[in-house]
Amino acid sequence: MLIMEAIYSAISSIRTNAVRSFLTSLAIIIGTAAVIAVIGLGSSANKALEEDIDDLGGRTLSVQPSQRRSGAVTMGINPLVIKDAEALTRNTEHDWKISPTMSGYRQVKFGNSNMRARVGGYLPIHFEVRGYDLEHGRLFNEDDNLGRRKVIVIGSKVPKELKTSVKNILNKNVTLGGVTYEVVGILEEEGSTGWQNPDEEFYIPILTAAQRVFGTERLDGINVGISNESNVDYVMMTIEQILRQKHNIGPGKDNDFRINDYSQFSELRNQATGIFTALIAGIAGISLVVGGIGVMNIMLVSVTERTREIGLRKALGATQKAIMLQFIVEAMLLCLIGGLVGIFIGTSFLFLLATLFDWPFAMPFSAIIGSITFSLLVGLFFGIWPAKRAARLDPATSLRHE
Amino acid sequence: MTIKTTQLKRSFAVGSETVHALKGIDLNVEAGEFISIMGPSGSGKTTLMNIIGCLDTPTSGEYYLNNQLVNELDEDSLARIRNKEIGFVFQSFHLLAKNSALDNVLLPMKYAGANMADAAIRAKFVLDQVGLSDRINHGPSELSGGQQQRVAIARALVNKPSILFADEPTGNLDSKTGEDVMNLFKELNEEGQTIILITHEQDIAKQSKRTITIRDGLIETDKQI
Repeated sequence: MLIMEAIYSAISSIRTNAVRSFLTSLAIIIGTAAVIAVIGLGSSANKALEEDIDDLGGRTLSVQPSQRRSGAVTMGINPLVIKDAEALTRNTEHDWKISPTMSGYRQVKFGNSNMRARVGGYLPIHFEVRGYDLEHGRLFNEDDNLGRRKVIVIGSKVPKELKTSVKNILNKNVTLGGVTYEVVGILEEEGSTGWQNPDEEFYIPILTAAQRVFGTERLDGINVGISNESNVDYVMMTIEQILRQKHNIGPGKDNDFRINDYSQFSELRNQATGIFTALIAGIAGISLVVGGIGVMNIMLVSVTERTREIGLRKALGATQKAIMLQFIVEAMLLCLIGGLVGIFIGTSFLFLLATLFDWPFAMPFSAIIGSITFSLLVGLFFGIWPAKRAARLDPATSLRHE
Repeated sequence: MTIKTTQLKRSFAVGSETVHALKGIDLNVEAGEFISIMGPSGSGKTTLMNIIGCLDTPTSGEYYLNNQLVNELDEDSLARIRNKEIGFVFQSFHLLAKNSALDNVLLPMKYAGANMADAAIRAKFVLDQVGLSDRINHGPSELSGGQQQRVAIARALVNKPSILFADEPTGNLDSKTGEDVMNLFKELNEEGQTIILITHEQDIAKQSKRTITIRDGLIETDKQI
């Protein structure tokens, strides 16, 4: 009953001084909004990374050419070529998916429209390694590749970029470097990864690409898809052995390629994002504490203003505890309202950003619960002193306070 | 015996001096009495009311309320006594401005921890008793001075107190509404309510059954009418 009276009286008091209450809780609003937005931003970034990794269905190692050194002298880049990828594919010891890639930006024409887009040469297995799914038509297959056929699979946003529709472009020809290719398939929307946008890419068989588009056997790199159960170190060792042999690198000489564990890199980035998020959220949290001091200040004013009311309540039988409860509840309610408004603003802001820039939207429930709890704690902590002052007022003198 | 005080003294430190507001009050009040306490300002009548109303404690002497020694009770016990045994009516009404008449009357019962359904029935009953059953949802700003004082009286009566204290209850009212309020007090007293009225108006005091005058912290006269 007492708590109900305390809440009732707190709401009435906050409503009576609506403008003052709003200004008081402004610091809490801004602080909570900032904390929420930053935490949300951090987890959205993490979610984007996780989606990347999930799409790969396990881990992907990436083999890239690098500078070879002979002693202190750098010898220039020794490229990775399609034959290197074939050598890896021939290994049957590991259950891995070898996906060599080559890519470049080219002008693509369709009817009267054209666009400059990333053109990539891949094996059919690339779609599986990347986790890309088909929406219309078909993917190219091993026969297309070996036959160096002029077929092309496009990302989901390409038809729009070329000012046409799915229906009008499927099974039609696009022109790439003066050569026409048949559009055989269109992928589902995959979403941008931040580095590149698979929805705006043109996918062609790697042998076709090597011969007709890029005129070289040189690869950007080789992606090696392995299952989560694989022994990464052992897989890396095998890759190293095969490639060293292929490149005729003698004992004691450095590798002319690098093997990166992409998922390790992601984890590192995850960690960095986490630290950054915690740092900013901590700084924003300071404004919550500053807001708490504002609440304490206004509660002290409120206690002085309402001395007569406190005297009356005591005359009617309110105990010190009841008076204390009333003012603590008021301080907590003030902070809670600020916190809720702040959560709303922070979440809306993040949602807006996510919609605008096409990021995944993630707002951890724990951040919302945490913000509510923290703002209540701020109210409790900074409400105690004013409430104690109110509770200790002498009823006889308070009643006659002007 | 409802109230019994022996050699009640109260002094305050004002700066470096000590002011003796009460210098030894011996007062006995029986249940059902209607008493007015008179005296010029500074006589100590307000201090006396604060002490017997349990808003203040005496410096020395003894105060028994319903045969219970009140002097040495702690703050919470005093709050409970104020809640259950004493009803206050003030000159300036002291209603909570944002609350309806009903909510104002409910307040002492909330502090008593009453069941809210029962409390609402009781509150409506006392509001009816003071003639405001058609005004229970009105706020103080929508009520006349006389009506506001009636709400305050209903609030004072709602926990069935042993004593009803009224501190200049007609001071802020015109003579007609003041008379109505006095008639209400008389009715309540006829139903057995013990009332202690503090006033400086002779006309008001005359309507009670016993008049006590205080001067310089001591009882000067004590007359049954």
